[in-house]
Amino acid sequence: MKIFAFSLVALLLSPSAQAADKIRVSSFSTVLTEIAQQVGGDRVEVTGHVRPDMDPHEFEPKPSDLKTVGDAQLILVSAKHLEGYVGKLKQATGTKGTLLEVGDKFPSLKMKDDHGHDHGPKDGHKHGDLVEDPHWWHSIANTQKAVKIVRDELAKISPADQKTFAANAAAYAGKLDALQKWVKTEIAKLPRDQRKLVTSHDAFQYFAKENGFTIYAIEGLSSADQPSSKKVAEIIAIIKSQGVKAIFPESIQNPKVLKEITRETAAKVGRELYADGLGEGAAGTYEGMYKSNVNAIVSALK
Amino acid sequence: MRGSPLIRALLAFIVIAMLGWPLWRLTSSTEAVATPVSSVPATEAKAIGLQLTFTAVPKSFVIRHLEKDLWSEPTPQAEMEREVTIPFPEKGVDLIVKIEWPEGAALAAARVRLTDPAGDTHEKSVWGQGTTEEVLTFP
Repeated sequence: MKIFAFSLVALLLSPSAQAADKIRVSSFSTVLTEIAQQVGGDRVEVTGHVRPDMDPHEFEPKPSDLKTVGDAQLILVSAKHLEGYVGKLKQATGTKGTLLEVGDKFPSLKMKDDHGHDHGPKDGHKHGDLVEDPHWWHSIANTQKAVKIVRDELAKISPADQKTFAANAAAYAGKLDALQKWVKTEIAKLPRDQRKLVTSHDAFQYFAKENGFTIYAIEGLSSADQPSSKKVAEIIAIIKSQGVKAIFPESIQNPKVLKEITRETAAKVGRELYADGLGEGAAGTYEGMYKSNVNAIVSALK
Repeated sequence: MRGSPLIRALLAFIVIAMLGWPLWRLTSSTEAVATPVSSVPATEAKAIGLQLTFTAVPKSFVIRHLEKDLWSEPTPQAEMEREVTIPFPEKGVDLIVKIEWPEGAALAAARVRLTDPAGDTHEKSVWGQGTTEEVLTFP
């Protein structure tokens, strides 16, 4: 009898039993993975399907992802058409979990659909159309909203943990407030008429709006295709006429074009910007990713 | 044509070199000295008016613009004003206001009133305790 009692206690205290007690969250965004971990604390078990080394625009779930989603109680997606597969994913797995399309809970900025992402024919929009910009996390105010949305959803799943989630969310929101303050102070080092970002990926509209920047996204600079000489001339003209000090290509696949632009304009090539979510190493957290981007921009444009 | 093959080869080399040099000049990519990036003229510095009003006299304050101290006072008063000269682009300016409030004092506020080069006045407020540092954007 004693052996049975000990076995029962051991079973209840075992990691697997405790894990089963946790809220199972499947996340398809590196930013939302961090939010879920920070807000849920030890009351959640978060599976990040999209990892920092993956391009969320290109991500396709594997069978192992389907299995995890099938068991999840909460599925987090960035939304704003970033993950075209998730609706079908939920149908395919038959999960009873809540699909939370976080980005759809706040207003969108529009961007031109010419930045090289493969949205696929199911998107229903043509190259050059105005589409919703899915990169909402580059606005810290939006990320603050996302924290509240995740907090409220976790509290619905486990009302007993409502206070814990509220306290965790408040602590994380405090860190975001401090980050916002740091960003404003750093950006204030740049004259407002020099806040011009030439990027190869039109992903920084939310950042630009929040911090007084104008974006000039260059189509073709990061694709494998050579942009036309007319396009290159246009880029050079923009950089010269706007007095842009640096350009920020995310992946330099056209070094000749880049060399020509920098030779003609004397614009510097800025450090890599993290456009599609968290990076690795120091940029592996939301704060680290944001600081890395701001440091790269300020140091290049100063 | 007669003559030593060596001389003929030398003559041929000279002819090729004479033709080749201008051709190489025309076709080679030169590492040109880059032209200045900006054709945009720098924003001219103009006089602006700053007026500060504190609900509680602070221990110290400093107003910074583009990493330079624009105005600081060792013995602040409840109301002060000063004219400063800075570039004031159409898109406006960011001023960093840092205030050291008296220890143990209640929540206090500072009103910053800026009169731009066109003569228009803009106001922003800062609230805080202890040390307050905020970026204020004008207009």
